[in-house]
Amino acid sequence: MARYIVRRLMTMLLTMVIVSMLVFAIVEIAPGNVARNILGAYATPEQEASMSMQLGLTRPVAIRYISWLCGSDWQASPEINLPLTETVSKQGLVEKSQQWWAIKPNGDLAQWEMKDGQMYAFIRQPDGTTLEVLDDNVWKVDASGQEYFWGVDTGNRAAKWIRGQGGVEYQLDYSGWVQKNDAPAEYIPLNKGLLRGEAGMSLRYNTPVADVIQRRILNSVILASLAMLFSIPIAVALGLLAGLNEGKLVDRLISMGGLITAGSPDFATGILLIMVFALWLKLLPGAAVFTSENAVLKDPHLLILPVLTASLVEIGYILRITRSSVVEVMNSAYVRTAILKGLSYQQVVMRHVLRNAMMAPITVIMLHINWFIGGLVVVESVFGYPGLGNFILNAALYKDVYSIEAGAMVLIVLAVGTQLVADVIYSLINPRIRYS
Amino acid sequence: MSTAQSTTNQVPSSLARSLSGLWSGLKELAELIWSSPTAVIGLTIVLAWVFVAIFAPVISAHTPLEQDYKNVNKGPSPTHILGTDQLGRDVWARVAFGARTILSLGPISVFVAFLVGLALGLPAGYYRGWVDEVVMRVLDSLMAFPTILLYMIIISALGASPINVVIAIAIGGAPGIARLVRALTMDIRTREYVAAAKLRGDNDLIIMLREILPNCRGPLIVDFLLRIGYAAFYIGTLGFLGLGLPPPTPDWGGMVQEGHSRMTANIWPVLSATLAIVTLVIGLNLFADGVREESMRYQ
Amino acid sequence: MDESPILSVKNLAVSYKTRKGEVDAVRDVTFDIQRGENLGLVGESGCGKSTAAYSLVNFLGPNGHITRGEVLFKGESLRGRSESDLRKLRGADISMVYQEPMSALNPSMRIQDQLAESLITHRGVGKKNAYAESLEALKKVYMPDAEGVMTRYPHQLSGGQQQRVVIAMAMLNNPSLLIMDEPTTALDVTVEAAVLDLIAELQRKYNTAALYISHNLGVVARVSDKVAVMYAGEIVELASTREIFHNPMHPYTMGLMRCLPDVDAPKGTRTLYPIPGRVPSPANLPHGCIFAPRCEQVRGECTVDHPSLIEMEPGHQVRCLRRPQDWQEVRRLWSISAETSLNLATGPEREKPAPETVLNLEAAKVYYPVPFETIGGLFGLEKRRFVRAADEVSFSVQRGRTLGIVGESGCGKSTVAKAIVGLEPLHQGKIDFLNVDISHPLHKRGIESIRELQMVFQDPNGVLNPSYTIGEQIAFSLRRFHTVPPHQVRAEVERLLHAVKLDESYYNRLPRQLSGGEKQRVGIARAISTNPAMIVCDEPVSALDVSVQAAVLNLLLEIQNTQNTTMILISHDLSSVRFFSDEVAVMYLGRIVEIGPCEAIYAPPNHPYTTALLAAVPRPDPEAPASTVRLGGRVPSAVNPPSGCRFHTRCPFKIGAICEQEEPACLDLGHGHRIYCHLTPDKLIH
Repeated sequence: MARYIVRRLMTMLLTMVIVSMLVFAIVEIAPGNVARNILGAYATPEQEASMSMQLGLTRPVAIRYISWLCGSDWQASPEINLPLTETVSKQGLVEKSQQWWAIKPNGDLAQWEMKDGQMYAFIRQPDGTTLEVLDDNVWKVDASGQEYFWGVDTGNRAAKWIRGQGGVEYQLDYSGWVQKNDAPAEYIPLNKGLLRGEAGMSLRYNTPVADVIQRRILNSVILASLAMLFSIPIAVALGLLAGLNEGKLVDRLISMGGLITAGSPDFATGILLIMVFALWLKLLPGAAVFTSENAVLKDPHLLILPVLTASLVEIGYILRITRSSVVEVMNSAYVRTAILKGLSYQQVVMRHVLRNAMMAPITVIMLHINWFIGGLVVVESVFGYPGLGNFILNAALYKDVYSIEAGAMVLIVLAVGTQLVADVIYSLINPRIRYS
Repeated sequence: MSTAQSTTNQVPSSLARSLSGLWSGLKELAELIWSSPTAVIGLTIVLAWVFVAIFAPVISAHTPLEQDYKNVNKGPSPTHILGTDQLGRDVWARVAFGARTILSLGPISVFVAFLVGLALGLPAGYYRGWVDEVVMRVLDSLMAFPTILLYMIIISALGASPINVVIAIAIGGAPGIARLVRALTMDIRTREYVAAAKLRGDNDLIIMLREILPNCRGPLIVDFLLRIGYAAFYIGTLGFLGLGLPPPTPDWGGMVQEGHSRMTANIWPVLSATLAIVTLVIGLNLFADGVREESMRYQ
Repeated sequence: MDESPILSVKNLAVSYKTRKGEVDAVRDVTFDIQRGENLGLVGESGCGKSTAAYSLVNFLGPNGHITRGEVLFKGESLRGRSESDLRKLRGADISMVYQEPMSALNPSMRIQDQLAESLITHRGVGKKNAYAESLEALKKVYMPDAEGVMTRYPHQLSGGQQQRVVIAMAMLNNPSLLIMDEPTTALDVTVEAAVLDLIAELQRKYNTAALYISHNLGVVARVSDKVAVMYAGEIVELASTREIFHNPMHPYTMGLMRCLPDVDAPKGTRTLYPIPGRVPSPANLPHGCIFAPRCEQVRGECTVDHPSLIEMEPGHQVRCLRRPQDWQEVRRLWSISAETSLNLATGPEREKPAPETVLNLEAAKVYYPVPFETIGGLFGLEKRRFVRAADEVSFSVQRGRTLGIVGESGCGKSTVAKAIVGLEPLHQGKIDFLNVDISHPLHKRGIESIRELQMVFQDPNGVLNPSYTIGEQIAFSLRRFHTVPPHQVRAEVERLLHAVKLDESYYNRLPRQLSGGEKQRVGIARAISTNPAMIVCDEPVSALDVSVQAAVLNLLLEIQNTQNTTMILISHDLSSVRFFSDEVAVMYLGRIVEIGPCEAIYAPPNHPYTTALLAAVPRPDPEAPASTVRLGGRVPSAVNPPSGCRFHTRCPFKIGAICEQEEPACLDLGHGHRIYCHLTPDKLIH
């Protein structure tokens, strides 16, 4: 069995690698240009080209993929010939800023900027401010005699300046476009990469994606677990009831109910529930208006409708699977053996039917987790619930690429992880796998 | 006579045979539907919506885009039987024309998904080995995506348009279809009539198209029907998430999206569109489910 | 001693609700079973044998019910008993043994719990004692490693072991009546023999009455005291086993015997008489005698009057309008026609031209790679392992002759067949066909080699593509090989249909409208459509009912005689191999252990495995001497075949270390008879 699990684990790792490539490919390489997505439709070609350079979009795709996953500081460090480090400081209530620095041999943290053809260094002071000093003897000479310098610029990029050949750099500021001269000729945007817990800056919130996402994950997990805890027992019980009474009225009613709840789109179910419980009966709030993202558990009644909506679809689905599994087992030869052994109906059901009938639903429920998570996105959107799904949806609508990527990867890790758990559970209850 | 030459002669004829197989499959399907009350109810609901979609211009007094500024956010009245939305557009007209959107995009996207799924699943199941390994790893990875998430990132990368909705749903559906086709192929390729075809020197393409594909039709037709239900489900959901057709195209999901923040003031656009999508999707599901159950009993 | 029967069934009728209304599956069934007696219930599939058996314990599913008649168990009626009453009987006083032991056992429950629950339920035994008793029961059925088996799950046991568990379970509460539904049909012939021995011994020891259902006359002859022959829901003949086999009086019973090949009769000495037609469905029964449409001795009255079961001789009941004296004349005519048809079948003693080798295999190996078990395997870190499905197989076949290949499931006989026609790639070795090297896979073979080498398959349901009509499927071959000009394709298909005794109306039928035997004929028509020099038949009749088997075997023999086709017959059934083969090869675990002329194989000296196979064949003759050579153990894995002689783990005549260490050399006994064994020839006569 251990071998079975290890093999599953390996396949899942491979799957995750391919998934990450797909996410990266769809979001960053597919037709739409990231720079244009960020800039909107009104940028000039020069501005767009400059932005692409600064974002590192001109680098080879494979390198960009690796940087996105594993970071780029270790790629830039040898060019600069100094170790690099990152500091985080708060700016205002939510926003944070990350700063990349090169560590000079004397321990100073430094960034550089070229002004009027001369290099200035910004040395970080203990209080967080910087001290600007002229630092013009950093230039090195390459084979063709050109003077160049690799350093860290003030925009968290490793940059290569060429003396006397300062380019033009366009930067998008709150006030609009800022044109800067003496710009570097090459950039490597610095980050630690997804695997090291840094998913880049959210373009929408202007703060590290990782910070925003944590709270959201927790909220979504709360919603999802409540819905699962609520729906699985009910669904399994109903499925059993229907399956043991195959063809009777109870079975038809339950099956039909399952088909209707499983078939209706989540958003429609949600809207109908709001209409009934909020607008008509006025029992519950129609939208989850949370005072802050942390308030989910403070107002549990806000959770009722979202949980109910997410559960209904799931109940329908699981009960149908359970039912057909029970029907199949009830018609199996070994149940016939059990009956002809002289066991009572209860004994047959409890000892022979239940365990075998539960095997199929467990795998199917877990394979269905993808669907369920997709449903959560919709439910969160219907009720304005501050979860991960809603976060990704907004990121998708605002084309906040780094948020989409990070959110997508988290969701998929959750989905794939649950499937691994399902595999383990399945192999535990199924002796055919346990003893092979 | 060389093998290659006879192969080129046989491919069109074997395609024709596959199609004639499809036709006899459709006849069987018709008999099957008739013997299942569930399927008949489902089909009735679906056909009602098809009727609405086809005759949308006839049965609605307004166009879906014309705005009646004097009657904004009104309830039902003789002129607007389901009321008007926030821009004064006739809700019934938008629902009727919205049926066209969903009933055309759904089958088209499922059809595209089937083409992709067949092209991947047949060779994977037939050849096995590394072809299978590569195809399956990629499909597994696509299937690791929660479906809605996949749609969200595809649409956000490609932009919202009917073609992109079709592409997204086809990409989302193809892996499941490919898996089904692969499983069927793996089963059928061990049948003795496939061995018999090999023993007359038929090449792989002919075997896949003439011997294997026609015998997959039963499960594939059922799957096709189920997937049209899913497609309608997702087209509605994408519309609701704001990732569907760009406004002002009449689209049920979009109507719910636009109206649901104003539900307390005007419930009609949201209620109509919600009920429309629910009845259509359930109709499709009942239909597919009835056919599935009946075909299983048939065996 | 109590003389009243344990079970007494009187005029039992069972019907099922179907979409087309009520259908009588079983009608007017009457029989008694005495204490300690074994009644065999035989008939083709669809005759209502199982329905009759399950109706005894009132287990007919939601759609079935007993409509008439009486079932008396120990003198008390079982009809109309409450569920809880029946429950007390089931598994205690009446218990059952099933056809598919694998599916009859709960896959997720340990053997000990499945056994013990029967004791706990019926006798309220404590768990500990129940386990102890279960272990005893396993030992009673000679389960090897009974302690170990107790804690295992069904999938960890072999088919024979599973069936022993089911039998042990049935015997747990010392039942008065044991109902056995084809208990050995799913098992290999050597395992079947051992299970039959066990059943006979248990019955004798515990004096248990038994109802034994089987389609196999040979099996019934071995275990039963009395035999009831069932046809289309009715018992047509009921007598002691000896009477049934030596003095059958119903034409159906006679037909069943006349269509069986005899393992003791060489090729060309016996003709098979198939029973024409098929068992009618219970919804469309013929008027008069239900067997009349298939009866060759039918008379006018047979289609009018429905005969009842009457005692023609003491203890011999028959349902037929003819009387014993009528049959004497018929039998005389049969024996005359047998001789003439035999002459026709064998033809004027075939002239033997100089032997011409059509096919020659030299040390052919077919290995399947075992899937890697670790990721490392993908990078070459794991040693590639192989299933050695066929290893070092060498033989040759002469033109116009038949080579039979026998062996139990998993011995590699089908693999050899597939390798010859090119459906499986050869790992090593060489195959020559018509002096052309065809050692490569199918797509690299010349079109002529493909045309000349065709195959007849096993599963009638898989032989034909369900999507095309019969005519189209035969035409595919004709067009592919340009056997006839395009405009003559249809005529040629019809000619071929006639050649396999079907008419042209079959051209437009779909496979699902055909019976198994008819499908198999179409498969043969397709194979001969290319005028092949050689046909490889892979278990061509094993999935067919006995009455149909004969027709297909006759057809193949006729084709060989008229077209001088060379054939290979793969089969697990030693009787049909004997009927049809000139040479025979016996395979075990991928290797040929013995090969030679048919006559030499069916008489000593033999390889120990051949001896065991021959001993295991159930003969339709209650007086056939029961051999005692039985095999134990389970077939080892072909991934790690035993060292030395591969048969040494199960060989009843193992000498010693030499068998485990050295591969046996070829023992040539002349006339091409070769045995691979360490025993000396005189010791091979067991």
